[in-house]
Amino acid sequence: MSDLREVLAAFRDATECDAAVWRREGAPGSPLKFVAGTAQRPAPPNEWLPSIGDEHDQETALGRLIIIPLGGQRPAWIIVGPCPADRTEVDRYLKFVRPVVVQYLQNTMEVEHAANELAERYEEINLLYSISEILGRTVSLEHGAATILKEVSETVGAHRGSILIHDHTTESLQVIARIGGEGIPTSPIALDDGCSVGAHVFRTLRSVIVDTGEMVCEAERAYRHGAMLTVPILWTAQHGSEPLGVVNLSDRRSGQAFTAGDLKLVTAIASQIGAAIQNARLVRQSLDQQRLQQEMQLAHDLQMKLLPDAAHVAPEAVVFARVVPAEDVGGDFYNLYRLPGNRIGVMIGDVSGHGYEAALIMALTMSASAIHAQGTDDPAEMLRRLYMSVKEELTTTEMFVSAFYAVVDREAGRLRFGNMGHPHAFVISKDGDVTRLEAGGPPLGMADEAPRSESLAWNVDGDILLLLTDGITDARNGDGVRLDEEPVLACVREHRHETPSEIAARVFALLDEYTADVPRLDDLTLVILKS
Amino acid sequence: MSFTIRKQGEIVVVDVEGQLIVGNRQELKQKVLDELERGEKKFLIDFAQTGYIDSSGLGVLVSLSKKIREQGGELRLANLNDDLRTLFELTKLDTLFQISDTRERALSSF
Repeated sequence: MSDLREVLAAFRDATECDAAVWRREGAPGSPLKFVAGTAQRPAPPNEWLPSIGDEHDQETALGRLIIIPLGGQRPAWIIVGPCPADRTEVDRYLKFVRPVVVQYLQNTMEVEHAANELAERYEEINLLYSISEILGRTVSLEHGAATILKEVSETVGAHRGSILIHDHTTESLQVIARIGGEGIPTSPIALDDGCSVGAHVFRTLRSVIVDTGEMVCEAERAYRHGAMLTVPILWTAQHGSEPLGVVNLSDRRSGQAFTAGDLKLVTAIASQIGAAIQNARLVRQSLDQQRLQQEMQLAHDLQMKLLPDAAHVAPEAVVFARVVPAEDVGGDFYNLYRLPGNRIGVMIGDVSGHGYEAALIMALTMSASAIHAQGTDDPAEMLRRLYMSVKEELTTTEMFVSAFYAVVDREAGRLRFGNMGHPHAFVISKDGDVTRLEAGGPPLGMADEAPRSESLAWNVDGDILLLLTDGITDARNGDGVRLDEEPVLACVREHRHETPSEIAARVFALLDEYTADVPRLDDLTLVILKS
Repeated sequence: MSFTIRKQGEIVVVDVEGQLIVGNRQELKQKVLDELERGEKKFLIDFAQTGYIDSSGLGVLVSLSKKIREQGGELRLANLNDDLRTLFELTKLDTLFQISDTRERALSSF
């Protein structure tokens, strides 16, 4: 305060009076602070201090003191004296000095204020930095929430605070972090709670500063004491803001109300918390998805392993067989069996539906079919026994299985088959004649009656058994038109002299050309056998 | 894709518009079961506006047919287009349902 001291020194030179300026910084009655003066004496007692517009003459041991109040935002006084008995000079100079001192005090106060503001902003920036760090380090919000709350409470000077997050299963706000109010239990707050400030803010997406006097909601007692500042935690997406929770701060150290500045700060932090919650959710979601994908891949691999290799029936039969699932796991399957007497068993099936349930039924049907294929010579009987094995599962899951089973007897030159609702099974002869192997009954699971086996001649030297599922015939082109059976039959017929693998390659090429980049919705299975 | 349900005499007539597939089959099933619960016995599903039924759609028809029969009722189908007709024939599902060419014939056959 050297500048003010110089002014006061000049005053003393002119008037021979010492002068000092005292200021009160706290509440009324609090001790005065010495600002500047030509001599520092003990602070004047309270009873010497006049109010604005007044002045006080005080006789002391040193001489007479004049105490004059100075206007301004904070109360201050100039104490002049001891002075000579004649006040003319003193009053003359006071006229000039007084406004100078007032202005000076005003200026210093503004500088101080600006410095304080700066310090506060600096503190806020620090807070935002440390919160970013906390949130950056943690994937789970619960771990960071307590630290964030501690930092923000300190910055705004709140003894109590809490962070509540929306819980979707209970449709309530759950406390994930709190400060203060120890010993008072907290409970979740229903979103439609009428008295809770937090629930209100959550519903309206608007921050609220509640005054001391307003009713305290019992559920919020733990983290509210007096005035409260409540800010929504929002996640701003393209379609608007979605509330995720609220931040409450209360019980202010200074006892003063929350300000617009506090509101701004806490809003900034709440939006950081919102982003962190959303990030954590996305991370979790993507991990879940990854795991699900891995599991599906595993299920797919297992399912594909269940399907036998075509080499299993070589050299008696030359077979191409493949299942192409639409999703990772599907319901299509085929099976190949070596049977006594050089006979070969071939099966194709389609479980209605997709996904895990269909995959399970498929696995069950396949394993049961392997047992029954060895148990009877009669294809239709085999299907009947197979149905009995899986009937319960089909009934409870409301699924059904279309199944075709044929036994090729090379030595007898016969093919016997049973068909339960499988639409696409054919024999194409060496000469190109196409015979449909018709279904004797609806799919397994739709009716209880047993089909009868049919039988036809089998020419070892060139007959083709062609089995396919509706994934092929129902494949759509860009216009949404089904491929249907005819083009597939024509293709196989045309290339009937080639090996099963070569024919299959032609069918897949036909399919690829037809569907182009239209995604396939169904599993597709193709089995081509020569024997 | 939508289902319209209306009463014609004592017969519940369901019109299926679009496709009957894995995505909407439960809706059809629930609607028909609700009617069955209410005591309705005679059902006709009209496929005049239907292009495609997938395997799960067929499953629902079979399961509905069973449930209706258990309650002493009857389910009939009408107006299957050529593709659907072939599908029913190839899979021998035509042996499980009463299928009529037209709605009128179906209604009068109850």
